[in-house]
Amino acid sequence: MTTVAAPAVTAAPATGRRPSAARSRVTVNVVMVAMILYFLLPFWWLVVAATKDNDALFSTAALWFHSPGAFLINLQELFTYNDGEYLRWMGNTAVYAGVSGVGATAVATLAGYAFAKYRFPGRNLLFSSLLGAIMVPATALAIPTYLLLSKVALTNTMWAVILPQLLNPFGVYLVRVYVQESLPDELLEAARMDGAGELRVLWSVALPTLKPALVTVLLFSMVGTWNNFFLPLVMLNNDKLYPLTVGLQSWYEGAMIQSGANALFTLVIAGSLVAILPLIVTFLLLQRYWRGGLTVGSLK
Amino acid sequence: MSLLRQQGSTAMAPPSVTPAKGLRTPMAGRRPGGLSASTRHKGMGLLLVSPFLLLFLAFLVAPLAYAFWLSLRTSTLVGGDHFSWFANYQQTFTDPQFLSGVRRVAVFGVVQIPLMLGLALLGALIIDEVSSKLAKVFRMTLFMPYAVPAVIGALMWGFLYSPTFGPVNSISNSLGLGKVDLLGHGLMLTSLGNIVTWQWTGYNMIVLYAALQGLPREVYEAAKLDGAGQLQTALRIKIPMISSALVLTLMFTLIGTLQFFTEPRVLEKTASSVITPDYTPNLYAYNLAFQYSEFNYSAAISFSLGAVVFIGSYFFLFATRKRSGLK
Amino acid sequence: MSSSRKPTSRSLRRTAVAATSAALAGVLLAACGSGGTSGSGSTQSGPVHIKVWAWYPQFKQVVAEFNKTHKDVQVDWVQAGVGQDEYTKLKTALKAGQGAPDVVMLEFQELPTIQLSKGLLDMGKYGANADKGNYVDWAWKQASDGDHVYAIPVDGGPMAMMYRTDLFKKYHLKVPTTWAEYKEEAAKLHKADPKAYMTDFGSDETAAGWRQGLMWQAGSRPYTYSASKLPDIGVKLNDAGAKKVYDYWGDLVKNKLVDTQSYATTDFYNGLSTGKYATYIAAGWGPGYLSSVAAKTSGKWAVAPLPQWYAGDNAQGDWGGSSFSVTSQTKHPKEATEVARELFGTSQAAWKIGIDQAYLFPLVKPVLNGAYFQDKKYDFFGGQQINKVFVPAANGIGTFDWSPFQDYAYNTDTSEVGKALQGKSDWSAVNDNVQSQVTSYAAKQGFKVSK
Repeated sequence: MTTVAAPAVTAAPATGRRPSAARSRVTVNVVMVAMILYFLLPFWWLVVAATKDNDALFSTAALWFHSPGAFLINLQELFTYNDGEYLRWMGNTAVYAGVSGVGATAVATLAGYAFAKYRFPGRNLLFSSLLGAIMVPATALAIPTYLLLSKVALTNTMWAVILPQLLNPFGVYLVRVYVQESLPDELLEAARMDGAGELRVLWSVALPTLKPALVTVLLFSMVGTWNNFFLPLVMLNNDKLYPLTVGLQSWYEGAMIQSGANALFTLVIAGSLVAILPLIVTFLLLQRYWRGGLTVGSLK
Repeated sequence: MSLLRQQGSTAMAPPSVTPAKGLRTPMAGRRPGGLSASTRHKGMGLLLVSPFLLLFLAFLVAPLAYAFWLSLRTSTLVGGDHFSWFANYQQTFTDPQFLSGVRRVAVFGVVQIPLMLGLALLGALIIDEVSSKLAKVFRMTLFMPYAVPAVIGALMWGFLYSPTFGPVNSISNSLGLGKVDLLGHGLMLTSLGNIVTWQWTGYNMIVLYAALQGLPREVYEAAKLDGAGQLQTALRIKIPMISSALVLTLMFTLIGTLQFFTEPRVLEKTASSVITPDYTPNLYAYNLAFQYSEFNYSAAISFSLGAVVFIGSYFFLFATRKRSGLK
Repeated sequence: MSSSRKPTSRSLRRTAVAATSAALAGVLLAACGSGGTSGSGSTQSGPVHIKVWAWYPQFKQVVAEFNKTHKDVQVDWVQAGVGQDEYTKLKTALKAGQGAPDVVMLEFQELPTIQLSKGLLDMGKYGANADKGNYVDWAWKQASDGDHVYAIPVDGGPMAMMYRTDLFKKYHLKVPTTWAEYKEEAAKLHKADPKAYMTDFGSDETAAGWRQGLMWQAGSRPYTYSASKLPDIGVKLNDAGAKKVYDYWGDLVKNKLVDTQSYATTDFYNGLSTGKYATYIAAGWGPGYLSSVAAKTSGKWAVAPLPQWYAGDNAQGDWGGSSFSVTSQTKHPKEATEVARELFGTSQAAWKIGIDQAYLFPLVKPVLNGAYFQDKKYDFFGGQQINKVFVPAANGIGTFDWSPFQDYAYNTDTSEVGKALQGKSDWSAVNDNVQSQVTSYAAKQGFKVSK
C-alpha cells in the first residue's frame, strides 16, 4: 500500500540532461499559460463587468475596466434590492448546502460502513443498484418527485430541496471503498474484544480513520447543492425560499424578458460574482483535503 | 453539463474517487476476508443502512415507479387519459423530434468528448510531471469552473458570445473578418461545446491526475533512466496504467452528454430560434412536461433515454472491463 | 393533461406504488421531525389571505395599496417567476392538485391553455360579469367565454412605432405611415449608414407575440376557439394576413434592411441605446422598457402610429398584456375574485403606480380614457403625450382568439422562422409549415380541427 501523500511531492522530474529538455519545458509552459488564459477569461470578464454601470456594460470594451467606482454601487444595490432578497437567497443557499451536505455525508457514512462491514438481507441487491441510480436523468425524477412530495404537502418548503439531496449514492460507494481499503477487520475486532458496542466501534474507531473520505463527500455534496438549479427551480414557488442560482436566474429573466422597467443586468453580474466567490475560496483553502480525498481511490 | 451532474453532482462529484478502484471493487467484495466476521450483527447492518435505504426508496425507487406508471398512460388536451401500455414508447422511437435530438447529441459527443478528455489528459500529465508554481496556478485555474454553477457559467459565456460586445467579435472585427455569429445556427453547437469543455476539463483533469498520482513512481522512473523521454513515458506507461480511470471519466462524460440539458436551456432564452424545444432529448422531455403539460409522453421519453444510458453504460463497462482484463 | 384533478387522484390512490411512496415520504417526514409547513393560514380568524403570483414591476406598492384599503381580504404576493417560469410552476401545481396560488397573473395568450387544463375558476359565478362594461371589448372577450369569466384584464400592448427623432433628422427620413414607406425609409437609412438598421426583426420566442401582433394588424385570425365548443377548433395560421407579414419581413431580412438579433438579448438593448436601430415597433408597455434599457437616449424618441398596409387605414394589433385569474385550487373563490377585480381594477391609486412607475397600459376604460393617462407627458419622449397615439391604437384593435396550445404554436413558429433565417426554408413556406405542424398536433391532442 503506497499511500500517495497528496500534493506537491512530485520528484523533480524535468532534468536538464537532454538538450531538448529546455525546449520542451518552454513548450509545456506555453501550453499552460495559454490554457490558463482561456480558463480565466470568463472570470476576468465577470470581475470587469461587475465594476461597470448598466450603460458602460453595453457600450465599453468587454474585457477592460471602465468605471471601477461603480463596483461599490453595484454591491450596495445588490444587497439592498427588493429588501435585500439577495442576502436572503444567500442564507437559503447556505442552509441548503449545509444541511444537505452534512446530512448526505452522515447517511452515506453509515451506509458505506454497513455495506463494507456487515452482512444483511438485500445487501448485494441494494449495492448493485447504486450505480444504476446515477444513470437516471433528473428530468425523469423531477415531476414524479414533485407530485409525490406534493401529496405530503412538502413542495414549496425547504425540505423539498434538502430531502432529495440527502441521497448520495456515490458518497456511499466512496465510503465503502475507503472502509474496505483502510479499515482492517482486526482493528474493529480488537475494539469489540475490549467490550465496545457496535456504535462505539463506529464512532471512535472507524470514523477517525475515515476523515479524508468524509471531508471529500461533504465538500462535494455541498458544492452539488450550492450549484443545484433544477431541483429548487421545480420544487419552489416562493421567491423567499430560492437559493442563489434560482434567484439570479429569475432576475436575469426579469431583465431579459420585456416586462417593463427592469434593467437588472448589473445586479445579475455582481450577484454572480458574489455567488461563486465562496465556493472558489473554499476550494482554494481546502485544496489539501479534497485532493487528498480524491486520491483515495488511487490507494494501491 | 447535464441535469445529472447538476442535480446529482453531489452524487457525481466523487466518481473521481472510483476511477482507479472502481472496476476492482466488486471483486474486493467477493474476497472472503472482505467482510467482517460480524455477520451476527445483522440487525446492526440494517440499522445503519436504513436511512439510506429509506431515502433510496423515497427519492429514487418511488419516483421512478411513478414515472413508469405515468409513461404507460396516454393523455391528450381534449379527451382525458387512459391506460395505453407501451404506446408512448412506440411513439418515442419514431418521433422525429426525439431522434433528431439524439442525433445532435451524438454528433456533439463525438467531437466534444475526445477534445475535452484529451485536454484533461494533457493537463493531468503536465501537472503530474511539472511541479512549478505555474503548474499549481494551472491546476487551480482549470479546476475553478467546476465550482461555478452551470447557470452562471452559461450566462457568462452568453455575454462573451455577444455579437456586439463580446471579445470574440471585437477581435474578428478588428482583423476585418466581420461578424461571427456564435449564437447562430452554424456555430451554436460549437459554442455549447466550448462551455461544457470550459466547465468540465479541470474536473476530469483532477480525476486523471489523482489516478496518475496513485501510480507507483518506480516504474516510470526506471523507464526514464533507460532513456525514455517524457513523451514516451506518458504514452507507453502512464496512459495505459490509468486506463481504468480514463474509462470511467469517459463513461461519465458520455452519460452527461446524453443528458445534455442545462447549457442549452440557459442559452435557449437568448437564441430560441436556434435552440428549439427539442434541441436535445432531455430538453425535449423537459419542455414536453413543463411547457406542453404532456407529462405522460415526457415520462416515456425520459425512460427511453434512461434505458439507452443504462444499457449503454452497462455494455461499455462490460466491454472495457474485458479489455482491461486482457491488458 | 385533460383529466380533471379528481379522477386522477382517485385512481392514484388506488395504485399501490403511489400509496407506498406516500407512506414512505410520510415516514421520512416523521423521521426528520418536521412539522408540516403549510402555506398561508386559512383557519385562523381575521382577514382572509389570498396568495397572488405576479411579476409586474413595482407591484409591491400596488399590493400595499390594496392591503391598506381592504380589511377582510389581504394579499400575500409572491414573485414565482417571470413569464414562462411562472406558467411552468402553475401547470405543475395544477397537475399535482396542490400548490397553486389563489390568484395568478397570466398573459392573455396563456388563458385558454390554463383554462383547458381546468385550472381556472369561473369568476362569473362570483359577480365578475359586473365588470364587463369597464374593459375594452377585445380584452374582455379574451378573458371570458360568454358569461364565464376566466380573467380580469389588467394591461395591454397596443402596438405603435417608436422612432429616433435625431436619426430621422440626420438622415432626412420621413416618418412612415405605411409599410411600403417603411421599407423605403429603411433602404434609405441603411444606404446612408450601413451599420444602422430601420429596426430589428424579432426572431426569437419572446418576440413570437410581436410577430403575432403584426399579423393581428394585418387581419390574420389564426384560431377560432371557444372553450364551450370543445373539441372544435379552427386553425388557419397561413391565412392571407399572416402570409403578408412574413413575405414583407422576409423581404426586409433578405435585403439586409433590418437586423435579426433575438429580442431577449443584451445586443438588442444595446442596439436601441446606441442608435443602431432607428425605430422600435413596440407596444403600450414599450415606453417603460425602452426608457429603462436605453436611459441615455432620453429625449431622442417619439411615438408614431403603426404603419398601415393600406394608406388611411386604422388597423391595429396587440403585443402582450396580462390579466388576473383565480385558480381552481383556491379555497376562497369569493375573496380571490375580489382581489382579481380590485388589485388594479379602477383604483386610481393603484393605476397611478401602474402608469407612472410600471408603465402599464390600462385596459380599464375609466383609466384608459381618463385625462391623467391621455394627457401625461413623457420626458423620455421629449415631452410628447404618447398616449394620444397609443389610446387610439388600442381602440382600433379587433377581436382575436388564442389557441389552448399557444406555447406549442409559438415554439413551432419560432423554429420555422429560424429555419427561414438560416436559409433552410423559404419565407413563403413558413406559414404553411407552421400550419401543418400545429394542425396535426391539435388533432393528436384530440381536437376536431377545421382548417
